[in-house]
Amino acid sequence: MIIKLGLSALLISSTLFATSDMSKWIRPNEVPQPKDNKLTKDRIELGKLLYFDKRLSASDKISCATCHAPKRGWTDLVPVSKAVGAGRGPRNSPTVLNTAYLRRLFWDGRAKSLEQQALGPIEADVEMNMPLEVLIPKLQKIQGYVKLFNKAYPNEGGINNKTLAKAIASFERTVLSTTAPFDKYAMGDTKAISKKAAKGYKVFIGKAHCADCHDKFNFTDGSFHNIGLKDGDLQGKDLGRYNLKRRAAWYGVFKTPTLRDVTKSGPYFHDGSVKTLTEAATICASGGRYKNGVKNKSTYIEDRHLTQTEISQIVAFMKTLTGPDMKLKIPTKFPQ
Amino acid sequence: MKKIVTTLLVAGALSVTLSAKNWVVNQKGKTFIPSKLTVHVGDTITFDNSDPFAHNAYTDDEANEFDVGMQPTGKETHMKIKSKESFNVECAIHPNMLLEVTVE
Repeated sequence: MIIKLGLSALLISSTLFATSDMSKWIRPNEVPQPKDNKLTKDRIELGKLLYFDKRLSASDKISCATCHAPKRGWTDLVPVSKAVGAGRGPRNSPTVLNTAYLRRLFWDGRAKSLEQQALGPIEADVEMNMPLEVLIPKLQKIQGYVKLFNKAYPNEGGINNKTLAKAIASFERTVLSTTAPFDKYAMGDTKAISKKAAKGYKVFIGKAHCADCHDKFNFTDGSFHNIGLKDGDLQGKDLGRYNLKRRAAWYGVFKTPTLRDVTKSGPYFHDGSVKTLTEAATICASGGRYKNGVKNKSTYIEDRHLTQTEISQIVAFMKTLTGPDMKLKIPTKFPQ
Repeated sequence: MKKIVTTLLVAGALSVTLSAKNWVVNQKGKTFIPSKLTVHVGDTITFDNSDPFAHNAYTDDEANEFDVGMQPTGKETHMKIKSKESFNVECAIHPNMLLEVTVE
């Protein structure tokens, strides 16, 4: 199944064409899909039901959509998410938008596919807190789900960890950004964004070096960096990717987030410590929140000596990366 | 005399066969170039970095494990093929970069 993309439609229907230096911002025509979980309508619809079903949490009060809500930029708009019970998770809820294109999921990149990622938050005690050995039998007792799993994944053993992960991943793979003003600009419509935003684009790819990491159509190259949010070393703090393996380059690093629909998904950074795009751009382009003495601070994070005008131009540009919400019918009735 | 020449020729042929080769892989545009290599045990791979920013090639393959560390623009690093196990090399900063190494 090929997901037809809004931008592809624009390509066909429009007389506009991207110039060669703008072509890297154009979305690929197809969404990447693993061989053993190709997208089908049945899989996507099943995954959507599971994504919004609060029975997947221990409390029956939290679904995937609680922290990754479509109307909140596929995040939850708070610094760190509320968990089952009174607790809160340690990190900002990352957007689900365009995760189909990422080779590493989670802020620390610990999952290599959406299928690997899908079950993590369900089991995490600071999120949905639902052990799979409890959830799977619970779902197996819901006849409506039994039928839907058998239809979507025939001959794969019905409801089990793998088919549950595959179904949720299938839905997540369809959560895609729509055509934003910058996309039209990249296709040659010079009036699609303001002059201020166009200047911001030049600063973004030039003097500010933002595109060193926020690169290509998804405005992330999937890279990992310590951008100097904390001073000194991180004793007792979040070590990021270093928690996976004690590799020197991974000390305190987190994934470069997409900038697609970025106006919808604040607050920003892995700890949700920044409320505005102006502050986020200032931190990244001025050498980090802490300039000196940060262990393993990325060499990409330097003081680019931007003026306030240039910062505001970059922000104006980033706002042109937001498009309309994707069309989505949120389920209100769930299998019984 | 003939025996000595023959011995030298055989030795020379063997040394050509057994001599280790150096393969050069460039890191450019956040891509390993080439992205696939076929090598032998004893060969070395030299990593160049033509990008204007740092890379960090590594593999977690146990038999050939290496981590060149942070490699700024223009710096050259090397790794030696120790075992006949094929493996993948990634960049610790850019996981989208992938080099497939087949060891024969």
